[in-house]
Amino acid sequence: MAKISIPIGPQHPLLKEPLSMMVDISGEQVLGASLRLGYVHRGIERLAQTRTYVQNVHLIERICGICSHVHTTTFCYGVEALLGIVVPPRAQYIRALMCELERVHSHLLWLGVLAKHIGLETIFMHTWHDRELVLDIMEELSGGRVSHAANQIGGVRFDLDENHTAMIRATLEKLHGQVEGLLDVIENEPALQARTQGVAPITEDLIRKYCVVGPIARASGVDVDMRRDAPLPPYDQLDFPVITHPDGDAWARTVVRAEETRVSLSLCERLVRELPEGPVSVHAPRRVPEGEVILRSEAPRGEVFYYLRSDGSDQPARIKIRTPTLAALSLLPVQMSAIQVADIPVVLAGVDLCIACADR
Amino acid sequence: MMPIDLKDLQNRIAALVGTRLEEGQSIGEDLVIEIPAGYLAAVTETLVDDFDCSHLSAITAQQWADQPDWIDVLYHFWHGRGFSLRMRLPACAPEVPSICEVLPGADFYEREAAEMFGICFTGRHQTPPLLLPDDWAEGPPFIRKDVQHG
Repeated sequence: MAKISIPIGPQHPLLKEPLSMMVDISGEQVLGASLRLGYVHRGIERLAQTRTYVQNVHLIERICGICSHVHTTTFCYGVEALLGIVVPPRAQYIRALMCELERVHSHLLWLGVLAKHIGLETIFMHTWHDRELVLDIMEELSGGRVSHAANQIGGVRFDLDENHTAMIRATLEKLHGQVEGLLDVIENEPALQARTQGVAPITEDLIRKYCVVGPIARASGVDVDMRRDAPLPPYDQLDFPVITHPDGDAWARTVVRAEETRVSLSLCERLVRELPEGPVSVHAPRRVPEGEVILRSEAPRGEVFYYLRSDGSDQPARIKIRTPTLAALSLLPVQMSAIQVADIPVVLAGVDLCIACADR
Repeated sequence: MMPIDLKDLQNRIAALVGTRLEEGQSIGEDLVIEIPAGYLAAVTETLVDDFDCSHLSAITAQQWADQPDWIDVLYHFWHGRGFSLRMRLPACAPEVPSICEVLPGADFYEREAAEMFGICFTGRHQTPPLLLPDDWAEGPPFIRKDVQHG
């Protein structure tokens, strides 16, 4: 049968953000695909060189609409390392709490997107309903549902009072119950299993060759999590299981993210329970001494990499940011070979694409 | 994952490159090993084959304000602990061998560095732009400091 090339995107109902793919098919068989990014490239790395460190916290928050907080957290820890300051333990815990809440809402959003792509509308409605509870907590704490402006260099911009912790505890308890029920349904739903098991399996060898990170890597048996392996505080004081799965298919990626949602909810409860007393920020000079620093942290989609270099002024000389989606996208053309046309949405959803992150 | 033995790695790279490596360079906890650009592919092959280290976190290209004639390129690896390979390329003709044959995951990172800094990665297929518009070829590399941007 003749080969036909079909363009998908940059604007397409299947995609929530602009990405251009040229998919080669023969009948119902997908033969391969090529990608084109850059439709939401904002030149953030260059812009960052023309703004002060303080301004850059807000610029960097806008890299992503889902994992905005982990970006500013990583950036702030980097600047603080160059400044030689340690943020108070209470601020570290609040940063981690927001990171874990972000992971829960990102994973729930992803589960909803996957369910919608394969026609399971009920799961989509429930996951997105439950995600609202997380966004309610984040809005209550920071005033923002997706851009929280929680971080500042030297700590965080808000404190938690007793009303906040009581509200978070009550909401987390409710959420935990709802998510447990939801995840039980997901794990035992025959239609979901039928549409994901054995679809687009990725071997551990491919994961390593393509430098893929996060839940996708863990779903192929790669035991890596920067919260444990290169911990920023307070993760060095927290024990938590790193979820892996040996199968590497779309089902494994679903199970890993579902289990990680449970783990993150437990971490949130612990962070609130053990929240240290004390201030939430320290004074940070505006000028940063000359130096370089590398930081890695675990965003919902995997390892986020930051390289910062200061020339002694109040503006960074260079910021390099590598987001997890960029690594995952390099493997997408390989995943898109030897699948059926009907599986394209499942494969795309499995990657948990964040194009704004990848483009920067 | 057993963290990579950085002392062993340094010795292997020194034997491969045939010169004594400058010691004591690091960025925070990440060791930095400076190598001549021409050895990059061979060093990466050693990393993958002999050390089972294939996780390239990122490629950073940059120019220092006081040395605009040079482009500094860092390949940031991770294997239980982080380390970086550093190369200095002349800004007038920055060229480094591609490592996509050994490590296909480097593809997007190389393309981004090519588009933003005008670095030529030798030995790889020509590819269309990844991030910049198709007609950007007429403009200067996006993040270079030694060229005027409009």
